[in-house]
Amino acid sequence: MFRRSFNRFCAGEEKRVGTRTVFVGNHPVSETEAYIAQRFCDNRIVSSKYTLWNFLPKNLFEQFRRIANFYFLIIFLVQVTVDTPTSPVTSGLPLFFVITVTAIKQGYEDWLRHRADNEVNKSTVYIIENAKRVRKESEKIKVGDVVEVQADETFPCDLILLSSCTSDGTCYVTTASLDGESNCKTHYAVRDTIALCTAESIDTLRAAIECEQPQPDLYKSLGPENLLLKGATLKNTKKIYGVAVYTGMETKMALNYQGKSQKRSAVEKSINAFLIVYLFILLAKAAVCTTLKYVWQSTPYNDEPWYNQKTQKERETLKVLKMFTDFLSFMVLFNFIIPVSMYVTVEMQKFLGSFFISWDKDFYDEEINEGALVNTSDLNEELGQVDYIFTDKTGTLTENSMEFIECCIDGHKYKGVAPETDGLSQTDGPLTYFDKADKNREELFLRALCLCHTVEVKTSDAVDGPPESAELTYMSSSPDEIALVKGAKKYGFTFVGIRNGHMRVENQRKEIEVYELLHTLNFDSVRRRMSVIVKTQAGDILLFCKGADSAVFPRVQNHEIELTKAHVERNAMDGYRTLCVAFKEISPDDYERINRQLIEAKMALQDREEKMEKVFDDIETNMNLIGATAVEDKLQDQAAETIEALHAAGLKVWVLTGDKMETAKSTCYACRLFQTSTELLELTTKTIEESERKEDRLHELLIEYRKKLLHDFPKSTRSLKKAWTEHQEYGLIIDGSTLSLILNSSQDSSSNNYKSIFLQICMKCTAVLCCRMAPLQKAQIVRMVKNLKGSPITLSIGDGANDVSMILESHVGIGIKGKEGRQAARNSDYAVPKFKHLKKLLLAHGHLYYVRIAHLVQYFFYKNLCFILPQFLYQFFCGFSQQPLYDAAYLTMYNICFTSLPILAYSLLEQHINIDTLASDPRLYMKISDNAMLQLGPFLYWTFLAAFEGTVFFFGTYFLFQTSSLEENAKVYGNWTFGTIVFTVLVFTVTLKLALDTRFWTWINHFVIWGSLAFYVFFSFFWGGIIWPFLKQQRMYFVFAQMLSSVSTWLAIVLLIFISLFPEILLIVLKNVRRRSARRNLSCKRASDSLSARPSVRPLLLRTFSDESNIL
Amino acid sequence: MSQKYNPITWRTKMKKTSQICQSKLPDNTALKQQQLPAYRLQLSATGVLSGFFATGAFCLGVGIILILSAKSIKEIEIKYTKICANCAELREDAINFDKECTCSIPFYLSETMQGNVYLYYKLYGFYQNLYRYILSRSNSQLVGTDLKVRLYLIWYNTPFFKDQSHNGTPIAPCGAIANSIFNDTIILSYNLNSSIHMEVPMLRSGITWWTDKYVKFRNPSAINLSSAFTGTAKPPYWSKPVYELDLEDTENNGFLNDDFIVWMRTAAFPTFKKLYRRLNRVQYFIEGLPAGNYSFNITYNFPVTRFKGEKSVVLSTLTWSGGSSLFLGLAYTVTGSSLPGRNYRLSNNC
Repeated sequence: MFRRSFNRFCAGEEKRVGTRTVFVGNHPVSETEAYIAQRFCDNRIVSSKYTLWNFLPKNLFEQFRRIANFYFLIIFLVQVTVDTPTSPVTSGLPLFFVITVTAIKQGYEDWLRHRADNEVNKSTVYIIENAKRVRKESEKIKVGDVVEVQADETFPCDLILLSSCTSDGTCYVTTASLDGESNCKTHYAVRDTIALCTAESIDTLRAAIECEQPQPDLYKSLGPENLLLKGATLKNTKKIYGVAVYTGMETKMALNYQGKSQKRSAVEKSINAFLIVYLFILLAKAAVCTTLKYVWQSTPYNDEPWYNQKTQKERETLKVLKMFTDFLSFMVLFNFIIPVSMYVTVEMQKFLGSFFISWDKDFYDEEINEGALVNTSDLNEELGQVDYIFTDKTGTLTENSMEFIECCIDGHKYKGVAPETDGLSQTDGPLTYFDKADKNREELFLRALCLCHTVEVKTSDAVDGPPESAELTYMSSSPDEIALVKGAKKYGFTFVGIRNGHMRVENQRKEIEVYELLHTLNFDSVRRRMSVIVKTQAGDILLFCKGADSAVFPRVQNHEIELTKAHVERNAMDGYRTLCVAFKEISPDDYERINRQLIEAKMALQDREEKMEKVFDDIETNMNLIGATAVEDKLQDQAAETIEALHAAGLKVWVLTGDKMETAKSTCYACRLFQTSTELLELTTKTIEESERKEDRLHELLIEYRKKLLHDFPKSTRSLKKAWTEHQEYGLIIDGSTLSLILNSSQDSSSNNYKSIFLQICMKCTAVLCCRMAPLQKAQIVRMVKNLKGSPITLSIGDGANDVSMILESHVGIGIKGKEGRQAARNSDYAVPKFKHLKKLLLAHGHLYYVRIAHLVQYFFYKNLCFILPQFLYQFFCGFSQQPLYDAAYLTMYNICFTSLPILAYSLLEQHINIDTLASDPRLYMKISDNAMLQLGPFLYWTFLAAFEGTVFFFGTYFLFQTSSLEENAKVYGNWTFGTIVFTVLVFTVTLKLALDTRFWTWINHFVIWGSLAFYVFFSFFWGGIIWPFLKQQRMYFVFAQMLSSVSTWLAIVLLIFISLFPEILLIVLKNVRRRSARRNLSCKRASDSLSARPSVRPLLLRTFSDESNIL
Repeated sequence: MSQKYNPITWRTKMKKTSQICQSKLPDNTALKQQQLPAYRLQLSATGVLSGFFATGAFCLGVGIILILSAKSIKEIEIKYTKICANCAELREDAINFDKECTCSIPFYLSETMQGNVYLYYKLYGFYQNLYRYILSRSNSQLVGTDLKVRLYLIWYNTPFFKDQSHNGTPIAPCGAIANSIFNDTIILSYNLNSSIHMEVPMLRSGITWWTDKYVKFRNPSAINLSSAFTGTAKPPYWSKPVYELDLEDTENNGFLNDDFIVWMRTAAFPTFKKLYRRLNRVQYFIEGLPAGNYSFNITYNFPVTRFKGEKSVVLSTLTWSGGSSLFLGLAYTVTGSSLPGRNYRLSNNC
């Protein structure tokens, strides 16, 4: 199969022209042929972004690419260059702070990356040069170098296996860090070089290798049985020699690795959108003011009244230039509408808020003794916005620990029970018999389990003791086989190992049985079975075969199939992985023939695959069915409940797995991703037969499915979420090769067509299962969904290294701190110990984070519009002269001190709905889907509220000032008192507005809300109470105290606050009352229903009284 | 900010290694588990309605009181730009600055103005709140410490800081605000009958904020004022130097002059009133201003027609809530009366 895929890939990819020729050991093949030095990249891995030299400019550039930072930079520069009403410090200092903190953070992160790179690049490797073993740094490896790798080392680059120290030229490799499969894979050395086992002999080799140019498809090329990939680890083999073919950034691993790009949350995009809106408001304000200023100044007595003459310089300045500087000045005056402090607060909120995830004790897992891990705090709120969930199967939905559950021998069910509990009922074996099969058949079945596999035994390094007594560690490319062998062991038959081609099995009577292993008919996914041919000590030749039910049943001659079949089906329904076991006796004559055929086929140079297949097919016939096994890949705790909850929350769950379709499907059923009522649509190699007209068939299927789905669903996607419950549910199954057919089939337009149809189908399915996925394909799918219309938010969750690309690709990547190493957890944004934690993470934490940050953002824009609008309006009364309404201290402190803490506390602590309620009611999640709180509607509401309040502040105070005096002793107030009154009303209003929004009053909220109001008052007294020596203008001296000495001012402040908040209060009350009355109506109705049902016994008086109180 | 957060606190780290298996369990504190005890606002219809009603009643009450007290205020405003048209015309041209022009405005007070009576001048269209205008002052000079405005010379080469005609002698008080001080003299006289015209006694002190008079404005220390101000020039538009503002009362002279201080507190809007004098309640005027014939005798100096402005004099009494403005009272009344209306609608909803 490998060869075929390799061939296909060679033939089919016309696009990838060009091969590379690698000279082994960099020796020219022959003297006559000119040695053309090809340029390949070196073996250095670079994942860092900056160097020492380019850090400052590059980092600054990156930072100022952020629209907000750039804006603040502009404002700062304007303040520096132009004479503006506010000091450059007010915007420069916060900006400098933000930039510095971010730069330090990013620099530190990059330093870590440098360190990790260096660790890899400087690791020592051994290279054979001139017949000597030379020690080198990993980054020095060149293409063509012969590299020696020892056991348990990782390969420093992609190698072609030349020889291993074993006689047959095999080596065992685990690719856990590449595709997440932790089992051992066998790779074979190039046949011609098997013998070259020493440095000297290797050096004599003169050869050239022609190979493909590097390409990232892991799935296709994991195949070549002599290619060892960088990042994989050598196991159970002492050492190997290989020649480097791809190095550095051209290795499969590097090509598959996707740079960790900066993820931006949807909320941040909304912020940017709002920012642009506010920027336009700002520009419009500045433009309006500038225009009106010049209109106003067109009359000379307004331009230069006698009491305010211009300087000579002012008169001489060019008018256009003056207009421009005026425009800039207005911009600076109003620039507080987009506050730097919002970014600081948002960052702080995210940073501090993310602690709640790592603090949550519900995420603590006793097994691994760890809680959740937060790698980024930028995406907290994104957790509340997820539309699609992509989950890995093995290790994520399942525990990744296979367990032998039960077996069936001749239709009799055996369920494994631990030996201790079973002691009293049975003597000859730890088996619970429901009804017993023939003893011989039992033993035959167990022997079959012990023999029919490709499991290797690794004895734990007990050198002295007999290997049988030592702890046995089984290793195999398939965890199922291990489970089976372990299952057999539980029943008394222990596979001890292979010695000189003889399999040794310890039976129930502790005797060692030895079988000569004649042939292994390896598993492949087409036959979906494997067989071994063994010779017993007695000389009988036996064939044992195990495989999928559909692959075995047609090939057995028993009559008792029915019983076993029923059994297998029941097991499959339970989500177990089932295998059937069969055997047949082969007469010596037959064996002769089979042996010959097999060797012939193996030796065949052409069409080996087909020939082998044919021989296998011939051999595996007329077998006798012995029984069936059921192995469980245990689902994770509460996986099914979690998936159900996620479904109920309107999320679409896709399972992306590298696993076989059958197993994946059964898992999906087990974790209730597919319900029994779900209709499955399959797009797999099975449904699209391997034929010439593959694409046509695919097209047909796509069209057919689409028709089916469109027929069933209403057009609008909006109602889709709700429609799920009412309509027939559909599930889609697709495998990797079909997917690649769809995604990159042909160059013409039809491929686009396929893709769009496919996406239409996907969007209508409640659940999608993608099996046989390569890591990069997982990422491809995620990217595809990400780019759908409306750009849904995707979340990937996985535990293995094979999930890393998908974790990096999706909006939110979640790692499971699982068994397959920590790559996923390290590359993820959040890591949790178990899949079930996803539920609380999304439904409770995500929801709360979203509501908090959305409110934070809206509130921030709101309070600054409130803040700046009076200042804008004031320009109409001061001849557009850029006179600030508020004192500079107030301008600076407003966002930093007076109004920042309450919103920060709110955005950290608010629980508008109880956290437990959120976690238990998934439907609440739908309420905030599609960024509901930051859409145009709420934005306009907040903006209008702010505009209303700003107008009330300004004109309320304006009318107040029309009187002769606000004090009984006739003293008059100036412009600073006016500004201070407006400002006082403003601070109180925006703080109380937040208080009205707060649903969850902890002592912290009380403290910061009342505290900052008190602080404002205190600060104002303090600020006005002293002649500040460093100030040139003592504008605020005693203004606040004088202001408060007037009764009218007090009354006005209270009234204006109340009027400003009135719409909000009314809204809250109306909502609350309506909800209550609705609830009461409902309960009333219910009560009256129940009342009418039974005879009324209550006295009339009592009834009318309670009815009246209802009306109230 | 992406970082790896280690949930171990330093305290748990301090524990012996035997405890290590517990160390990673997050603390079970109310804050960390987001389970802080909290109060959830629960609104009941009755509570809300009674709250609305109480607020409404309160507002209505305050509103009515405010309106009533505002109604009790007597106020007279007389615009005299047009009445003194010839003076206004004279002041159109700056050349005539030294020509005196007076103008008398008789008026009849039909009702007695009870209690304290205050005399304001009111300017229309005078922008005391222009950005550059507001900046154009030196507080350090006004507290007498930096009389020569050295601090300001660097940045503000604006007019009225240095005397252009006297080779840059610093001006005291400097700046546009001081330069443009309101310099009309308003004298109210009471015509008891056709022959007896008596000047209504007015107090020129006590019209500033206490802190302005005693903290923010200080004369430079010297034996006498005129020597204190040597080396400075008078503002170009002034007719006399600052130390001659009030020769009768040293406490009211120089920077401490009440009229000057009042002027220096810049008004918020282009139309503004400033307190000029308050009635000295002696003799005839113990009760206030009795009804009868009065006249304002105005020395017209301050040009307003140049910027299309107007001037007026205002006589007013005050109450506990200040001057006569119906705004606050009306606002309260409207708010108060609209609340029971809402009440009604709300109760309908239920």
